[in-house]
Amino acid sequence: MTSTPIGKVKDSMLKLFRGSNDILGVFLILFGLCVVMTFASDNFLTVDNLSSVARAFSFVAIMAIGMTIVIITGGIDMSVGSIFAFAGVITAYSYSNLQLALPLCILLGVIGGAIFGFINGLLINECNLPPFIATLGTMSVARGLSYAITSGFPISMPSSFNQLGQGMIFNIPYPIILMIVLAIIFTFVLNKMIFGRHVYAVGGSEEASAISGIKVKRVKLAVYSISGFLSAIAGIIMTARLGVAQSTAGLGYELDVIAAVIIGGASFSGGKGTIVGAILGAAIMGVLRNGLVLLNVSAYWQQTVIGLVIIIAVTIDQLRYKKKA
Amino acid sequence: MKKIVMALVLTMLVSALAACSTSSDTKKTQAGEKKLTIAVVPKALDNAVFLDSKDGAEAAGKEIGVEVIWTGPTKSDAAEQVQVVEGLIQKKVDGILISVIDPNALKDVINKAVDAGIKVATFDSDSPDSKRSFYAGTENFSLGKQLGEAFAKLAEGKGTVKLATLTGVPGSFNLEQRIKGFKEGAAGVDIEYLPVQASDDDVNKAVTVLEQYTQANSDLNAWFVVGAWPFLTPTETLPTLKKFAGNGGIIVSVDSFYPMLQYVKEGTVKVEIGQDFIQMGALGVKNLVKAINGEQVEPFIDTGTVYVDETNVEEVLKNTKPW
Repeated sequence: MTSTPIGKVKDSMLKLFRGSNDILGVFLILFGLCVVMTFASDNFLTVDNLSSVARAFSFVAIMAIGMTIVIITGGIDMSVGSIFAFAGVITAYSYSNLQLALPLCILLGVIGGAIFGFINGLLINECNLPPFIATLGTMSVARGLSYAITSGFPISMPSSFNQLGQGMIFNIPYPIILMIVLAIIFTFVLNKMIFGRHVYAVGGSEEASAISGIKVKRVKLAVYSISGFLSAIAGIIMTARLGVAQSTAGLGYELDVIAAVIIGGASFSGGKGTIVGAILGAAIMGVLRNGLVLLNVSAYWQQTVIGLVIIIAVTIDQLRYKKKA
Repeated sequence: MKKIVMALVLTMLVSALAACSTSSDTKKTQAGEKKLTIAVVPKALDNAVFLDSKDGAEAAGKEIGVEVIWTGPTKSDAAEQVQVVEGLIQKKVDGILISVIDPNALKDVINKAVDAGIKVATFDSDSPDSKRSFYAGTENFSLGKQLGEAFAKLAEGKGTVKLATLTGVPGSFNLEQRIKGFKEGAAGVDIEYLPVQASDDDVNKAVTVLEQYTQANSDLNAWFVVGAWPFLTPTETLPTLKKFAGNGGIIVSVDSFYPMLQYVKEGTVKVEIGQDFIQMGALGVKNLVKAINGEQVEPFIDTGTVYVDETNVEEVLKNTKPW
């Protein structure tokens, strides 16, 4: 490594996070995107706009925290978007139809999501299903249950609850604060706790982990439960953000979440990835969508542009790795 | 562990099947002498949208002296709806008025009913390739055109109006028809159409795009929202739009579902034009009876629209069932 003072500072700063070199690339892409947007639109760098953008991507980012941990183990979770809707629906239904106290309703929603995650883990461990198939199944079940419970109708929530998603402190909306808190907690879990080391180990090699005494099944069970738990939290906060729970909420979000995680430097082959990277990945997607709106790009073209930017972002990251190798 | 999981999976499957099989138990109706029996089949029994159609159909039945039975799948499931129609064929009703969940999945059973001598018509959602007699529903182009005309009245004398459009999934046939109709209806006023924005039928995206786009375009004068999405929320969810409307921005929207009416009441949305589900039920039953009696019936019956603005919103709210 470099021995210049600047290099030393850089090194010590990067040591803050495991795999921090991965983050630098993503951060530069996000930074570049923001610089371009600042010049392209007068309305980008305003408090209102930035807080709106951050709130919009915070939901995907919260789900991306769980997805990162899953992908580090070499797995995948397709059910996050459905669990997102399911948890919101459970919370709203418990409140409006069963008339339970709000905190209890929220708890039920979170537990519901975590249970779905736990079932994902069981299916993968005990039924030997590939993670993609197991979670594809629960994706359909959770979505189906949401339809069945609401019969397709949005359920309105009271203002007191909606504050969770609509309120803010000093112009920072609550969902963003929650995202930051969760990111710090789970970064700590991954980097400083034994469980975190086990997660990376399982992703590196399941056999080697098993031989060295790691309870691989338990790690997987925990990892999918965490993903379900975080998806549920995101779903409940989104319900508060919109003021309604909807069975169609989060339809297709799993792809946004996975894209955020991969842009953030994780690899489908496992063993690699950081939570900060995933959140930056989600931020890139959020800024991009905002950019398309600010620059008045027609809806008929937006999908194309988003796809291209994802491909370019991941390609740049890959090239950086090749150069280093 | 494996056994426990298998047992768990099995119980889940069994209970799911049990839940599904509580289908419509066919009540024997007291056969009033030669009184025609019309079955009205919505996409799902507890779908609030169709409760309006139920009211319309039952009122029409009373008016012309036919028995109207309301039956359908408990949830929006095409296979279950097919079973309901099979049951009605067994029951030998005289006519079936149905909102099909899937045009192709229901085609065969509709044809089977027609072959068994039952007149079948569709409402709200059509199966055009089946042997059904007619379709009673809303024509999306004319709905858009009406909204365009209403908008033109609001925008008159305001010079060039910068209008943004929020659609659902770009390319959806019914939405494109509404947009086309709107442009024709509003042809009289000078409108600068900004590039269409999309919500992908997602309430969250709809709210986010509305908010960000409105904040970013301070010279924007108007929004044309092509479907209900952003206004299915409580009015507190869209403070940006409330401010926009307060500063003279004109917002008009397709659809007039219950939660949306609050936005009109609050003054944020100026005009909403929705489909008339009451008329779908009423005109559907009336024309079906005509068809059964051998009269000629047009293949498409336009059931018209519901117009909501500040002058009639209280009245519409009173007559609309809360969701």
